[in-house]
Amino acid sequence: MKSIRRGQHLITIMLLVFLAGFGYLLYRLQHNAGFYISHAKSTPLGYVYDRKGEILFDPEATAGKYDADYFIDIGNLIGDNSKQMTNTLVAQNLPALTNYSFTLGERSDGHAAIYCTLDHEVNRKVYDAFGAKDGCAVAYNYKTGEIYVCFSKPSVNILDGYSNIESLPEGSLLCTVFSPTVPGSMQKIATTAAAFETMGNAVLDKRYACAGSYTNLGGQVIRCHAAVGHGEQGLSEAFANSCNPFFAQLVEDPAWTLDDIAGVYRKMGYRINNEGEQTYLEFDGLSAYTASTTLIDKTDFNTQWGCMGQGMTLVSPLQMMVWQSAIANTTGISTLPYLIGHTTTVTGKTAQTASTAFGEAMFSEQTAASVREIMLENGRGHYAELLPGTDVGVKSGTAQVENGDKENSLLTGFVDDPAFPVAFCIRIDDRKSGEVTTSQIAAVLLQELKASLNE
Amino acid sequence: MFKNGLSYAGSILLMLIAHAAMLGIVLVRGSYTTPMDLVPLVLAVLGLDLAGIIAAALYRQMTYTLDIMLLTILGMSLIYQSCFGGIGLSLKHLITCIAALVACEIGFLLTRNHEWIRRHKPWIYGIIGVLVLAILFLTGGRSMWINIGSFSLQPSEFIKPCYILICAASIVELHKKIKILFFYVSVDTLCLCGATVLIFGLQWWCRDLGSLPTFAAIFGCALVCRLCYPRAKINKPAIAAMCIGGGMLAMAAWTLAPAYVQDRLHVDIWADQYGSGYQQCQALIGIARGGWLGAGPGQGYLHNVFAHESDIVFSTISEEWGLLYAGLTVVILLIMLTTTLMNPPKNYYHAMMAAGVTAAFLAQMALNIFGSCNLIPFTGVTLPFISMGGSSMMTCGFLVGMLKAAQSPLFHHEIKMGRKKTTRKTERRAQA
Repeated sequence: MKSIRRGQHLITIMLLVFLAGFGYLLYRLQHNAGFYISHAKSTPLGYVYDRKGEILFDPEATAGKYDADYFIDIGNLIGDNSKQMTNTLVAQNLPALTNYSFTLGERSDGHAAIYCTLDHEVNRKVYDAFGAKDGCAVAYNYKTGEIYVCFSKPSVNILDGYSNIESLPEGSLLCTVFSPTVPGSMQKIATTAAAFETMGNAVLDKRYACAGSYTNLGGQVIRCHAAVGHGEQGLSEAFANSCNPFFAQLVEDPAWTLDDIAGVYRKMGYRINNEGEQTYLEFDGLSAYTASTTLIDKTDFNTQWGCMGQGMTLVSPLQMMVWQSAIANTTGISTLPYLIGHTTTVTGKTAQTASTAFGEAMFSEQTAASVREIMLENGRGHYAELLPGTDVGVKSGTAQVENGDKENSLLTGFVDDPAFPVAFCIRIDDRKSGEVTTSQIAAVLLQELKASLNE
Repeated sequence: MFKNGLSYAGSILLMLIAHAAMLGIVLVRGSYTTPMDLVPLVLAVLGLDLAGIIAAALYRQMTYTLDIMLLTILGMSLIYQSCFGGIGLSLKHLITCIAALVACEIGFLLTRNHEWIRRHKPWIYGIIGVLVLAILFLTGGRSMWINIGSFSLQPSEFIKPCYILICAASIVELHKKIKILFFYVSVDTLCLCGATVLIFGLQWWCRDLGSLPTFAAIFGCALVCRLCYPRAKINKPAIAAMCIGGGMLAMAAWTLAPAYVQDRLHVDIWADQYGSGYQQCQALIGIARGGWLGAGPGQGYLHNVFAHESDIVFSTISEEWGLLYAGLTVVILLIMLTTTLMNPPKNYYHAMMAAGVTAAFLAQMALNIFGSCNLIPFTGVTLPFISMGGSSMMTCGFLVGMLKAAQSPLFHHEIKMGRKKTTRKTERRAQA
């Protein structure tokens, strides 16, 4: 009979295993129901609002309901539910926007919504400041991580319903704030940080001469944008001058090795020499490229050129902005950005609220403080008009793209004001002399944003 | 001596209340033009109940719980299937429900006498052989279906009860070993292993890998019951070797599985929502749309999806009736299986039979429910008694008959009495 009882135990075990699986299934179905229903062909969706309650996404938006270009600045960032774009806030957060709950079912009068940290009014003003030029701009609070401004031009007007998709300029469906771009001299921030991290303040004693060009140890010529050269200079002046010969000699300096540079670069998010997997900065479902470069030989032109932000080096504007938080906070740790402040469910109850998060340490506090001082010095000397009365740490850059046929103009920095802790990055594509400058756009961004936040 | 939980009248009353409640929901929330549309369904369900009650009263066993529960689940199934996409009466399903009830009684009568089954074991092997030959020669190509006009039969379904029976009937012969070369082996075990290899090979050849886990579960139970058998004399190294062998076989099957199986093992259904993941995505969306209480009978969308009445029937019910009702249906099926725990089998044959039937039911339920909900690879097997399909319904009915037999078996004195009666009949015939 004992053996027969074992048969009973076998039945009991089988039943319990099935029950456990069924219990898990019920939990999973109930928990993921919002995700499932967001894949249905037609689902009632809620709105996306900016930080002041302006609508950024309306599932029933029509040309008659809004101004014709009302959504133009956020078309490829906020997006819509048409599935034409994938890396947009709406496409990545459909479950949160779905007016549905497992208990109540689908409700067209529900209160599901996403409340963003974006300031649509300022965003639009900065967008308009680009005039006819294309490019991108992003700004965030380097203490909390709230993104205030984020757009890229050309964008897509979702009110057009993609009827003109064939005639849209290339890149319209992609927010290039999250895409890799040649950083130009912005890269010198990373190289400067690596030098401080390795050599400490001794790097400030290094002085190299610039005669307009420099023949490196490999026999290749590095040219400076100033044909007459900058003469002998230290790191602070070279940083402000964006002097290529100085940085070529700094890279060649025997006081550090290529591994030292690579070590700091990696901590700053670089993928070096295509080793390992490319990393991405993920937030609110959005995905942003971090950075990549090629470092082969300290005396080689391409390696030195890469350390100056040209050639094979690529960084996303978002990542350049995030570096500023590690510098501005003097912690060496980046503040991670976010776009969703909070969401509400179909019943109007707050579902999730954003909180400040930090990345891994990029460099030491000492390095952060040193780079910060150099950037502030540069800002005080050359960019005082950005935000009159307030110090702004700045680095500008020019990136050669399309084999040097075009030059993008970039500017990144941070505001040294505890009441207005904003970091930013701006890029103007194919900028030519006499056209709008990055500093003009930065001035609009900072001044309009400060006024808006103080309202 | 036998436990039933509720009184006979109480059980019937509960069943009638359950069906009446469901018909009430159809009336209140269903999708129909006039209330007269409901009449055929009401008559069919109550007629089935009445016929079942009369049959049970005329031929009542001491354990009636399973009979009543079977009637309950069949009535629920008939209501579900008649409401998919609009209220009506699924006549085909009504016929298969009656067939399942008949199969249940046949299964009960044929399998309760373990000595009779042991004596007729060669016949069972013969039936398996005939079914295998039918699959090989009558299905037309590597298929499991025999199509006769508008009817389709799946012979592999009928192999399931036969396989459980040979597993159960051979267990007591385990100790009867003969010497072949240097090894002492049990002929019954050899035959069982041969039949297992044949069935598994056939399933593999026919690309019907969905049923394979069901047979594997039955075989697993047979193996465990053999290890528990007092005279099995199976040592630990043998058990370890069996585990390793089983593991290697599973790994080989995983690696060598055909491309379409590999695809199902690794597919991200949401990345291919309108391709290979279509059925599962729609099934999950349907469950989400139904929520706890459902969209209402006949008010769903899933009836537009292929195999909504069979392979993804759990989701179709969830969408129209709600997850609560779908879960309740599963619970009733589980309670049917737990009746064996209430009335334990009295011998090894019936113990193995009960375990085998439970394993077959649970494996099939898991494959259907978890598969359609993307918890495990989607195989496309039926949900016992709920899915549409004559072969499946009859087999499940027969299996419940076996489960009933395991709870109210023939005892030795009854068997002896039966033998005496047979002898007397033979003597009388001889005298005449």
